[in-house]
Amino acid sequence: MLMPKKVKYRKQQRGRMKGKAWRGSSISFGDFGLKAMDRGWVTSRQIEAARIAMTRYIKRGGKVWIRLFPDKPITKKPAETRMGKGKGAPEEWVCVVRPGKILFEMEGVSLEIAKEAFRLAAQKLPMLCKVISRDEHV
Amino acid sequence: MRKDITIAADHRASRGKNEARRLRVLKMIPAIVYGTGKDPVAVSVSPKEVNKILHSTTGHNTIFDVKVADAVSEPVMIVDWLRDPIKSHLLHVDFLRIDLTKRIIVKVPVHTVGEAKGVKLQGGLLELIVREVEIECLPDDIPEMFNVDVSEMNVHDAVRANQLELTGSMKLISGGDAVLVHVVTLKAEAATEEVKVAEPEVAKKGKKEEEGAAPAKGAAPAKGGAAPAKGGAAPKAGAPAAKAPAAKKK
Repeated sequence: MLMPKKVKYRKQQRGRMKGKAWRGSSISFGDFGLKAMDRGWVTSRQIEAARIAMTRYIKRGGKVWIRLFPDKPITKKPAETRMGKGKGAPEEWVCVVRPGKILFEMEGVSLEIAKEAFRLAAQKLPMLCKVISRDEHV
Repeated sequence: MRKDITIAADHRASRGKNEARRLRVLKMIPAIVYGTGKDPVAVSVSPKEVNKILHSTTGHNTIFDVKVADAVSEPVMIVDWLRDPIKSHLLHVDFLRIDLTKRIIVKVPVHTVGEAKGVKLQGGLLELIVREVEIECLPDDIPEMFNVDVSEMNVHDAVRANQLELTGSMKLISGGDAVLVHVVTLKAEAATEEVKVAEPEVAKKGKKEEEGAAPAKGAAPAKGGAAPAKGGAAPKAGAPAAKAPAAKKK
């Protein structure tokens, strides 16, 4: 699963997810892309599940790019613990996704295959997504 | 490539995001015309006409005319444009004035023609590495695109930028050794295992030490668990530290 090799600080505050994804909002590598239409945290497990769903569907047909990286640690307190006593332990890694962000890209497959593969991948993600091609929306 | 298109533009007196928003409500977008040593002019244009040009076969390399109010029309090219990340409609356009007698640097798209042998027969994958090549030429010599014939390519074959056919005043600016297209073999998908999320290394040395010290700190409260005696809540005075969590459940 994706996670940073080295971090400056073990824990982070939650932060806000205001605005649109002005960066990383256009297709850069492949022919087709999956664009997030909503905002949220995507965990490393969800990214991995989406990747597996996509690559299984396209078999050995094409190439996939992952355009997001989970670099935000999320902490969690153990169950049945009273409040206080400091912040919980790092539990998982997430990527902050704003609407407009390209999450995955694909090349070397037909539009129909790419659409279905992205549909399967989008089911693993916590937000509404849209399939787009290099020039226009599909 | 020059085209006989003229876009009408109006002077834009007011500036700022609020004025730009009002302009967009009126189905116009803010734009700017600059270049050739003249002063930049803030204008407003119809996004429909700009979109038509961007979606034409010559795309952003199209040279067309812009007529600002009563001024003489000038040949321009679209050099930059901003789209909304969600709805993809145009928000702003930059027009560069073109001197038709001077050489300019442009990015020309690369397209593949045919189906590679390596893909059809050997099960490879055709990968388009560079989608746009930078060339220098006269404005009238800008090609629509570079077509690369890939039908004879086998696995591990590649086409480099210096293999492109340059005609007229064209001169390659991108590196000649740059691979444009190649056919690669597909790697088998690596077996994935459910790995428990391990903590990454903390960059600062000082922090590492703190981290190392942290469990010791964590241990301390357990001891202190017996110490709630201080708080005077319900001190089972002799209770061992291990029982402390049970007391918490209450």
